[in-house]
Amino acid sequence: MMKHTQKSLKQFVSNFYLVLILIFLYAPIMTMMVLSFNTSKSRTQWGGFTLSWYSQMLSDPKIVSALYNTLLIAFISALAACIIGTAAAIAIDSMKPVSRTIVLGITNIPMLNADIVTGISLMLAFIAFGISLGFKTILISHITFNIPYVILSVMPKLKQTSKSTYEAALDLGASPVYAFFKVVFPDIMPGVLSGFLLAFTMSLDDFIITHFTRGAGINTLSTLIYSQVRRGIQPSMYALSSVIFLTVLILLLITNYKPGEKEPVPGMAPSNPSGSSSSGSKGSLAERIQKGAMAIAAVAIVISVGWITIKKYSVSSSNELYVYNWGEYIDEEVISMFEEETGIHVTYDMFETNEEMYPVIEAGAVMYDVVCPSDYMIQKMMENDLLAEIDFNNIPNIDQINPIYMEMSKSFDPQNKYSVPYCWGTVGILYNTKRLNELGVSVPESWNDLWDPALSGEILMQDSVRDAFMVALKGLHYSMNTTELSQLQEAKQRLIDQKPLVQAYVIDQVRDKMIGGEAAVGVIYSGEMLYIQEEVENLGLDYQLEYIIPKEGTNLWLDSWVIPSNAANKENAEKWINFLCRPEIALRNFEYITYPTPNQGAFELLEPELQENKAIFPDINNLENSEVYRYLGDEDDAIYNALWKEVKSR
Amino acid sequence: MNKKLLSGPYMIWMVGFTIIPLALIVYYGMTDRTGAFTLENILAIATAEHAKALWLSLGLSLIATVLCLLLAYPLAMILRSKGTGGGGFVVFIFILPMWMNFLLRTLAWQTLLEKGGVINGILSVLHLPPQNLINTPAAIILGMVYNFMPFMVLPIYNVLSKIDDNTINAAKDLGANSFQTFWHILLPLSVPGIISGINMVFVPALTTFVISNLLGGSKILLVGNVIEQEFTKGSNWHLGSGLSLVLMVFILISMALIAKYDKNGEGTTF
Amino acid sequence: MNQPLIDLQHISKSYDGTMVLDDLSLTVKENSFVTLLGPSGCGKTTTLRIIGGFESPDSGKVIFDGADITSLPPNKRSLNTVFQKYALFTHMTIAENIAFGLKIKNKTKAYIDGKIKYALKLVNLDGYEHRSVESLSGGQQQRIAIARAIVNEPRLLLLDEPLGALDLKLRQDMQYELIRLKNELGITFIYVTHDQEEALTMSDTIVVMNQGYIQQMGSPENIYNEPENAFVADFIGDSNIVPGIMLRDELVEIFGAKFTCVDKGFGTNRPVDVVIRPEDIDLVEPGHGTLSGIVTHLIFKGVHYEMEVTTPDGYEWLVHSTDLFPVGRQVDIHVDPFDIQIMNKPASEDEEAIGVNE
Repeated sequence: MMKHTQKSLKQFVSNFYLVLILIFLYAPIMTMMVLSFNTSKSRTQWGGFTLSWYSQMLSDPKIVSALYNTLLIAFISALAACIIGTAAAIAIDSMKPVSRTIVLGITNIPMLNADIVTGISLMLAFIAFGISLGFKTILISHITFNIPYVILSVMPKLKQTSKSTYEAALDLGASPVYAFFKVVFPDIMPGVLSGFLLAFTMSLDDFIITHFTRGAGINTLSTLIYSQVRRGIQPSMYALSSVIFLTVLILLLITNYKPGEKEPVPGMAPSNPSGSSSSGSKGSLAERIQKGAMAIAAVAIVISVGWITIKKYSVSSSNELYVYNWGEYIDEEVISMFEEETGIHVTYDMFETNEEMYPVIEAGAVMYDVVCPSDYMIQKMMENDLLAEIDFNNIPNIDQINPIYMEMSKSFDPQNKYSVPYCWGTVGILYNTKRLNELGVSVPESWNDLWDPALSGEILMQDSVRDAFMVALKGLHYSMNTTELSQLQEAKQRLIDQKPLVQAYVIDQVRDKMIGGEAAVGVIYSGEMLYIQEEVENLGLDYQLEYIIPKEGTNLWLDSWVIPSNAANKENAEKWINFLCRPEIALRNFEYITYPTPNQGAFELLEPELQENKAIFPDINNLENSEVYRYLGDEDDAIYNALWKEVKSR
Repeated sequence: MNKKLLSGPYMIWMVGFTIIPLALIVYYGMTDRTGAFTLENILAIATAEHAKALWLSLGLSLIATVLCLLLAYPLAMILRSKGTGGGGFVVFIFILPMWMNFLLRTLAWQTLLEKGGVINGILSVLHLPPQNLINTPAAIILGMVYNFMPFMVLPIYNVLSKIDDNTINAAKDLGANSFQTFWHILLPLSVPGIISGINMVFVPALTTFVISNLLGGSKILLVGNVIEQEFTKGSNWHLGSGLSLVLMVFILISMALIAKYDKNGEGTTF
Repeated sequence: MNQPLIDLQHISKSYDGTMVLDDLSLTVKENSFVTLLGPSGCGKTTTLRIIGGFESPDSGKVIFDGADITSLPPNKRSLNTVFQKYALFTHMTIAENIAFGLKIKNKTKAYIDGKIKYALKLVNLDGYEHRSVESLSGGQQQRIAIARAIVNEPRLLLLDEPLGALDLKLRQDMQYELIRLKNELGITFIYVTHDQEEALTMSDTIVVMNQGYIQQMGSPENIYNEPENAFVADFIGDSNIVPGIMLRDELVEIFGAKFTCVDKGFGTNRPVDVVIRPEDIDLVEPGHGTLSGIVTHLIFKGVHYEMEVTTPDGYEWLVHSTDLFPVGRQVDIHVDPFDIQIMNKPASEDEEAIGVNE
């Protein structure tokens, strides 16, 4: 009896442990699934049940094209890896031990190497070979890291395969090729299939290598999600991932369900000891993987073929325009309206940071016709002769732009020759009134209020060099474009002093975290305000989020359309700019982006209530201490970066 | 004879997309912007902020690796004892989460760990004080353990499940108790799996930049973050390559360990 | 001295509702060489694993040297096992393998070293101390597995089909080796095999098992010459099992011919099974035997010819003889009375499997 209770206790403990691990593994996945039904975009607030994200996910062209890219890359790369890898495995199997060891060593490199090093090395190689980054570079990279998985899945199967069956086939008159496909291949098939499944999964899950080897404008689900991390993830992403996850789960369950399956009785077959009975189960494992792989491959093929057929119908025209803009920075409807009106076919790509955009334009790997960078970056591009002068005769709507903003542009485009303002805004402090009350802290009015020890752990800072230094420099009443080393050192020290108080350095997550009540104050771009105020109201939160521009002044930023000097369709680009300057179009975009528009015509179309919302349209004349970022040159940029790194590594 | 030719495409591929790219990292790492030879980019690891980032990365990834091992080994033992039917099950359990995107899985932890997150919600229901979980080194370690544990479980499980029951029975038969059997038989026999698992966890943990960004609130700078920023923001590719070369030293050590302890590739993850 | 070393009392064991051992009782005397013989799935390995402690019976007791060890874990039992596929520790050298059990028992280094030398000499592998397991052939590995077990001086050695993986010649050599070892060491062997020749060669007691029951237990000669039922007769060696009618004591009728035999007590005119070994059939010129037939097959087997003789009723008699009778030759069959073995007919199919030891 003792023994039995002991045994069942042991059983209980191990089952309990197993359950704990399963909870650990699947809790985040469950969380995602729950969030996919959340009305609110915020990850911390439950806004009620909805299915709308599921309907939205398929209507969002970005998500659909990312999904398509992801599946296509996963499928082609896994297939290519299977062909190359299986051939290689057969060759390796027949090699002498020494060369086999060497080759297998090389095979291990992509598996053991850090993804970041693999990604970077491939990126350097593509640039050195002059291959422009894009779909094919991602594909090549994925094939590269997938091959080892296939080889390592096939090799053990080859070892098990007896050479004599192949020889027997030859003896019976089969040609070597025929013998291979009829005799050897069926034996190693489970290995090839499980290699395919693994490769497919690895490709699907990869982010880091794709991150470095992708070109502008092409996204897989991973990179799309990463780009959204900054602005807040679209819940349709959760919906899509839930669908993918459940599809795979169901496929695997179906392929593995064998009614009335019984495990072999241990000890029932004494001449067949546990060793060989477990090898028997290996076979069935391979079989299961094989079935799973086939099912998944079948689905992937159907999807790919279906998509390609659809794609065929969308004919490309010779009248082209290549647009390169920030993510989520246009109402997609506007693009279709432009295409319809002008008959110009628009290829629309997105970037996430100015720094990411710059090398793309500089390298000219993809020739964009019109780009929308920020102030200081426009200056840098101009100084490096990357911009073409705009022919304002082709842009009659320029008179819709409030002259104040043309004036503002002169800080980086002194003669108003290269740029047309698109959006502008300020940087300020967003604060949670209720939380400040609880902490006994008064409403902030200066940047220096972000150094209040009472706010420890309640501050969200911007995770970018210039914005972080702006906060410190402005607080010290210095110019945010300073290159004085002593001033910068002082600012650095301020930032280091502030670090223990900071909860996190983030970019666009400030929005979601503030809505979620995670922090009391955060440095934020003003354009988010309309969304924030709407969301606070919709969720019925018991606190208010207010925006203030500190009295020392702030960063006044401007994103403008420019035309790269190598643009092939300059006239179309000007048509595009002119189109966007049309008041009703600018209004449409404003309603989508919610960043202040410099378009006077659009402004006048707004409801007075919005016109007077100071959080969205601050009084530009009251911003005398504010500045626009200037390009400081490579050397000073490097100094800023080095000092920022010092702050971050504290 | 012509069988060897089959490796042709693979050889060309590996040279083109593995060897040459790595050589380029070496080239970039050892030159400056003008193309002149310099060791500055590699020695840059010694500067205070880089060295700190490296030490921090080493520390966190070491802890994460040890935790993975401690969690995964008993798990692999349990899965082994579940017997023959478990094989496919195990692989599913650990491969399946990969179909939910890596970034989303990690972001989900943000939701779980945040101040107003799920875990603190549960704590408050239990009338326990809220914990500061997110944006701490512990959160980063958790993210590492979560994302990389499958790579520890699978090789160990693979090795353990290949051990014949009779080998264990033989040890018991010769008088070894459960602990002695584990210590003298199971553990040494599973070394290839352990080594392979350690590698599969340690290397990605050491070089991650995503997990520290998402769960560390960018307050904690790891060596992966430094390199990533040199390539995407700082645009000093030479420095980034130099630092990557330093990382490669650790990767080479890993590969050497595998070559030593896992000659037959028994500990392959899958 | 004649106290039983192992006494299995009413052992039952089932896996997932399938009965593997049903109320099995078995006694093994000290210093004997007992073989559990039977086809796959007969329960012989399970019996061995229960003695070794790797399985616990659902009911029943295992008595070892007078003490109940039913729930004692294997590491506490003073007996050792030689596993089917040797189960050597591949991460250790030969010496370390052999030393394993002794180190666990905290023996001195000198003692251990002495034992290793002794054991290797015993299995004819002196000088192999520092070799690795992989470098040995199957036969050598088998000897190491034996050496590893016997250095612990067990009173009982369990061997689970130890020669199953070896080729014929090696198997025969190892059979002699095992007999020699057994005699030198003076310990009790319980040996599991499905190879009847191995069982007959080595054991002093054979336990024939089928479907979880002991069918017959006895000396090799006894089992071979006087099988108690058709299963044993069929399983041990080749035999001709034919239906007969026991006319009276010492006279049986087979296919209409009357054979004199030595069996008594079956009553009169009772249907029985008759077992006649192929080598016990003498082929004689027509007219000199009891039953006549025609040679229909002939194979040369080395030491003898194997022939089939078909009698008019259609039965094909298997005959081993050193005399050659070509195919087509008319012959007569003659069997000496003491070579005829009479068995009761089983009342039903099921009864075939029922224990006969009670």
